[in-house]
Amino acid sequence: MTVTEFRDRVPATEHIAVRCVDSDVHPMPRRGELVPYIPEPWRSRFFLDHRVGELIYYDAPDYVHAMAMRVDTFPPDGEFAGSDPDLAFRQLVIQAGADIAILEPAARTPRLAQAHQAFASALNDWQHHHWLDSRNNWHQRWRGSICVAIEDPAGAANEIEKWAGHPYMAQVLIKAEPRPSWGDPVYDPIWAAATKHDITVSCHLSRSSYEMLPMPPVGFPSYNHDFMVTYSLLAANQVMSLIFDGVFDRFPALRIVFVEHAFSWILPLMWRMDAIYEARKSRMDINRKPSEYVKDHIKFTTQPLDYPEDKTELTRVLQWMECDKILLFSSDYPHWTYDDPRWLVKHLPESAREAVMFRNGIKTYHLPETVPALEGQVRVF
Amino acid sequence: MPERVIQPRLAQGREHIVATVDEIAPGSHKLVPIGRHGVGVFNVNGSFYAIANYCPHEGGPLCSGRPRGRTVVDESVPGDAVMVRDLEFIYCPWHQWGFELATGTTAVKPEWSIRTYPVRVVGNDILVQA
Amino acid sequence: MIEHRNAERTPLIDASVHVFFTSNSDLRDTMREPFASRGFPDYEMDWYGAPGGEYATGTRGPDGQYPGSDPDVVARHLFDERGVDVAILHPMTRGIMPDRHLGTAIAAAHNEMLVSRWLESAEYGYRFRGTIRVNPDDIAGALREIDKWGAHPRVVQIGIPLQSRELYGKPQFWPLWEAAAAANLPVAVHLETGEGIAFPPTPSGHTRSYEQYLGFMALNYLYHLMNMIAEGVFERMPNLRFVWADGGADLLTPFIWRMDVFGRPHLEQTPWAPRIPSEYLPGHVYFVQGSLDGPGDAEFAGEWFGFTGKEDMVMFGSSYPHWHAGDPTAVPTTYSPEQRDKLCWRNAAELYGIDISAGVAAQ
Repeated sequence: MTVTEFRDRVPATEHIAVRCVDSDVHPMPRRGELVPYIPEPWRSRFFLDHRVGELIYYDAPDYVHAMAMRVDTFPPDGEFAGSDPDLAFRQLVIQAGADIAILEPAARTPRLAQAHQAFASALNDWQHHHWLDSRNNWHQRWRGSICVAIEDPAGAANEIEKWAGHPYMAQVLIKAEPRPSWGDPVYDPIWAAATKHDITVSCHLSRSSYEMLPMPPVGFPSYNHDFMVTYSLLAANQVMSLIFDGVFDRFPALRIVFVEHAFSWILPLMWRMDAIYEARKSRMDINRKPSEYVKDHIKFTTQPLDYPEDKTELTRVLQWMECDKILLFSSDYPHWTYDDPRWLVKHLPESAREAVMFRNGIKTYHLPETVPALEGQVRVF
Repeated sequence: MPERVIQPRLAQGREHIVATVDEIAPGSHKLVPIGRHGVGVFNVNGSFYAIANYCPHEGGPLCSGRPRGRTVVDESVPGDAVMVRDLEFIYCPWHQWGFELATGTTAVKPEWSIRTYPVRVVGNDILVQA
Repeated sequence: MIEHRNAERTPLIDASVHVFFTSNSDLRDTMREPFASRGFPDYEMDWYGAPGGEYATGTRGPDGQYPGSDPDVVARHLFDERGVDVAILHPMTRGIMPDRHLGTAIAAAHNEMLVSRWLESAEYGYRFRGTIRVNPDDIAGALREIDKWGAHPRVVQIGIPLQSRELYGKPQFWPLWEAAAAANLPVAVHLETGEGIAFPPTPSGHTRSYEQYLGFMALNYLYHLMNMIAEGVFERMPNLRFVWADGGADLLTPFIWRMDVFGRPHLEQTPWAPRIPSEYLPGHVYFVQGSLDGPGDAEFAGEWFGFTGKEDMVMFGSSYPHWHAGDPTAVPTTYSPEQRDKLCWRNAAELYGIDISAGVAAQ
């Protein structure tokens, strides 16, 4: 696949319907590309004050060679997977068929909240200049995330105010690990800023340090296998906190997306929350059944798709959870746990495919229904 | 980096001479343009095996993966594990699903298999029926 | 026997009834010095005690006996009023003690009380089965308890806390699981009451509401179970059985799906667990099913119960005398008769070797 047809970087006048919104794509700064955007004094006195090397533990399979990425996504210039917008465009948009991709920069979490906020603001400036600009987003297929550090709610609200209204910033991006969980009123300024501007807040897992690894209550997993599988319990707890602590009563317009936390657990969790509500509602301040809050306010991305040997059980579970209401397609490109959209769509009940693959994404991120056409692009379905 | 298959495609359903024996050193492979995704011809300790460049999981470019061995328990060594049978297995570069090159399948569940093709060596030539 | 909504009657085994000492002096009288004079907490928790009270109304004895502490009262409630044929008793102890010697002494006292007051009760003993409490922080002491009580005809399992500072797949615990398996005793895991050392109850720290604590705490079994699978514990100990006594079996289905899908790429990192994770469930993993579990009377309840083999793993357990003590007749309409029987008695009868037909005859 070459980009000779696209060398002019001019979008076609002909438009095509958006039929695949990818809710989780990871761009990566090239070496040295991000540092200039980190504001002082944090740049010199915090981020550059000591060398930080490889931080990995709970390593993905064949880590030294694959670096937890799809091995075929590393560009020829020696930079990391996801660092070349043009290669990502070729592999994800042209060859895999994503029509619009939501970019979610991922980075380690600094120890101090303000340092994290400075780093988040740098990621936002970097996206603006290196992925969402008219040269790299000539095709209008990338959308970015307003990265914020929720441990600094006031700073996060300021960052949201700064970027709200940017034509290509589609959501607020937070990490799942900071404590306490999100029902705590300390986070209210963030929900207020997001709902003021009608922007969805997405939460991506991030790994961190110490008790924010996340440290499970009963001991440490031994391997990447049990660590990543049980990671979803962090999201399950956040769902319960959002609901039982009344965040959606305080902010009825708030929309939350859980990205890459798996999702089939939400079905039995809804039952569990509803049973608790039924038994204890006289003592609870919330107004509605918990599962109603889930259906109205919370969405989940499809990657990683989990299923048993008998895939009809997955179909049944998708139907019982009303998946058309709560799922958004995602690929997680260029990570090794990537789900290809043409593979994923076959696993959805036919009646839910359009909702999950693009209609929910268009609504959630305020996306256009059509985009400039691209010759030779794979169409997912 | 995925390999670029630049030769014209060879017709399917026939036997083709795809390489000479010296072209594919032990531990390496050659990707030949047969079929929609290509066929990888691997040299595993002097024996040649041909597999489809297509992972049955989600369609990843299987032949771009890193051939290596598999891990078994050995409580006499530090860490209790050793890699054995180096280069006899191919692992998909996407999700690291591993398959034995000689059999095209796995020990844990034989029904997990990849498409393989018969290989013959005639003189100096490697022939693949794909 | 209980009568179900469709007027059919089945036996009923209650797989989780909690028993307590009547008072602190009752406990201390059963302990020996120097432990009888040590300081240790009461059963009730501070931060996560249930608002409105931990126990269901009417479970105190007529003379104010602590709920779950008087065999006469408990027997009347379970056998006369709730239709229970056989009850598996699980003593609650007093929290995870930092001093493991004291923890074992408290557990041992509860075991003596369980056996003498309940399992060997002249009037009711034949309808009780017991859980011997052991302390995973004191393996040697735990092995001694298993030696002492493991062969008692009415002891059916050992009991350990859900709270831990390391996951139960790790090798420091293997001698305890091996001893339990050798004694043919399942290991029941249950949330320990009382104050003690522990990490906060969720991966995000503390909860603001009791309801969130209630919703999440039981799910911590998933950390233990997935670690046990990845560590190859069931590969190494083919006879080991674990009972997750706080419920949450429904979450097993999505999490084992993930464990399986994620398992294939990780086979080379964990060669001691060579099989696909879900293959380690049958015959190894069991659950108590309580009032917070299940999809309610949904039309797909029976179908869901069959997923992941849950219908062979799950046993009704009321958690009497707790406030959420479940109603055994609340069996979903779409359960088949076989599923209903498994839930109400058959799975427990098989796991614990209870001959239910002789269940009401002397043993």
